[in-house]
Amino acid sequence: MSGAATGALMFGAMLLLMGARVPIAAAMFVPGALGYWAMSSDPALINLLNLLKGSAVARLTVYDLSVIPLFLLMGQFATQGGLSRALFRAAAAFVGHIRGGLAMAAILSAAAFGAVCGSSVATAATITQVAYPEMKAHGYHGRLSTATLATGGTLGILIPPSVPLVVYAILTEQNIAKLFAAALIPGLIATAGYLIVIALYCAARPELATPSEPLPWSQRWRALAGVWPIALIFMAVFGGIYGGVFSPTEGAAVGAVGTFIVGVAQGDLNLAGVRRSFLGTAETSAMVFMIFLGADMMNAALAQTQMPARLSEWVSHLQVAPLVIVGCVLLFYVVLGCVMDELSMLLLTIPVIFPTIMQLDLWGLAPQMKAIWFGILVLMTVGIGLIAPPVGLNVYVVNSIARDVPMSETYKGVFPFLASDVLRVLVLLFFPSLSLGLVTWLFK
Amino acid sequence: MPAWPHRLATLFALLGCGVASLTALLTVASIAGRSLFASPVRGDVELTQFGIALSIALSLPWCQLRGGNIIVDFFTQRLRPRRLQFLDGVGTLLLALMTGVLAWRTAAGAVSVYQASETTMILGLPMGHTYAVLAPGLALTAVIASIQTLQHWRGRKATDTP
Repeated sequence: MSGAATGALMFGAMLLLMGARVPIAAAMFVPGALGYWAMSSDPALINLLNLLKGSAVARLTVYDLSVIPLFLLMGQFATQGGLSRALFRAAAAFVGHIRGGLAMAAILSAAAFGAVCGSSVATAATITQVAYPEMKAHGYHGRLSTATLATGGTLGILIPPSVPLVVYAILTEQNIAKLFAAALIPGLIATAGYLIVIALYCAARPELATPSEPLPWSQRWRALAGVWPIALIFMAVFGGIYGGVFSPTEGAAVGAVGTFIVGVAQGDLNLAGVRRSFLGTAETSAMVFMIFLGADMMNAALAQTQMPARLSEWVSHLQVAPLVIVGCVLLFYVVLGCVMDELSMLLLTIPVIFPTIMQLDLWGLAPQMKAIWFGILVLMTVGIGLIAPPVGLNVYVVNSIARDVPMSETYKGVFPFLASDVLRVLVLLFFPSLSLGLVTWLFK
Repeated sequence: MPAWPHRLATLFALLGCGVASLTALLTVASIAGRSLFASPVRGDVELTQFGIALSIALSLPWCQLRGGNIIVDFFTQRLRPRRLQFLDGVGTLLLALMTGVLAWRTAAGAVSVYQASETTMILGLPMGHTYAVLAPGLALTAVIASIQTLQHWRGRKATDTP
């Protein structure tokens, strides 16, 4: 059988298995392994078995990937240590009395929590637990509350640290610190965009949210004082990473130890909390690396079929403006993101698509800058898939906590936020310097 | 599901994250040593790689027990429960196959690397250790996924979600 035919067969089998509820990791691994076997020359099975001898070790010992479990641990300590509650309380003290203010406070605290947490699902769950009861008690409409919380969760990955961005950095051999820097301003733009959406939404539909009584300034300052630990940790971790004092992996270690100390010192993190943090970290990091192991097998097999190289050659002969190609790729990600999770999407497509993108002339950017900018665009697009119907992972998470709101209500509420997402992707597509400016400034 | 896989998987996960926490502490000690006394912990990168790899491998069984490995349920939403359970059984079987093969091959890798007496660059530790410690986590995942397959096909609850 020819390489292209085997490749197509593998890819088809993978999609079929994924559609049939087979765990994504296995749906990539099994067809990949069979395809690799079929493609290798005699003695074929030995080749596969020898490759597999080292594949788990090769993937799990990548130093740059060590950052993922450590950042997850940091996020878990922050969750169990009650940092999200302090953040929401402070934000609500300042903006709670505006119409829709508690929703704005949820966005602001999600953004701040995203600065110590690299997972959107964890951010959505944490902020929902502290913000949803408050919003409900103040008579906020379920549609507004749950849509805000699901959208706010995406700030967990849009604002560094960010697990998908680490995965992108590994796949494309880019500098993680630079990618984090490039994500910062777009993340803040996203936060501002969501705040504007809430303001407009509540102006158009005042019945969705009732403003609460303004707090006296003394109480506001007291609430703000509760967030200094998280601010300190953020500055230590990212100051250290951007200042070149330590690597992202080391920064994550500093963050994990720091949040642990703060949680224990404030009396919120007890033994049961540490146990919950450990089990939560174990579940998520295992999930991430399982997908890696599956995708590695599939990619090793696909590389043998030479499909990625052919695709890249085909695209380079297309007579289409480079920006249109990037636009089509992003659109493809939106569609794929509707039914697939973000990590397997990146792991399967970036090795194929990235070389193609690097051949294009985009705004005359140098290769490294182009790679970073494209990474941020992909990250933003992936964020859309997390809240867009029919399968938005964040919407599931929020609705599993806010059980009294039907999921269809959340999806209705999400649309204005999606509009702001699309707008932001377009702005970044046409103004790369919004994302790259900080990178150039920090890494002169 | 019998109780022992649950206990063992919990133990593995807690142990794994304990190792990850120790790795984090070691890294912080190394940064402090480096910046204050110009003496980092020797081989800190190697130890981080080893510790984190071990912690991930030990976390795999717990994730599988909890049903934490991502599936796409969009295309099968309308199926009857019996059919869903059949498909889920196929899914856990393939996952058992994947982790089982990886456990076997990683153990075989450990044997060949020990025989070749490869060592790490800085600390000179046997490379075989890294291979050897990853196999148990992968193997337990395979065992748990196999048990889950039987549970699914017998129409019982197979994951440990609340």
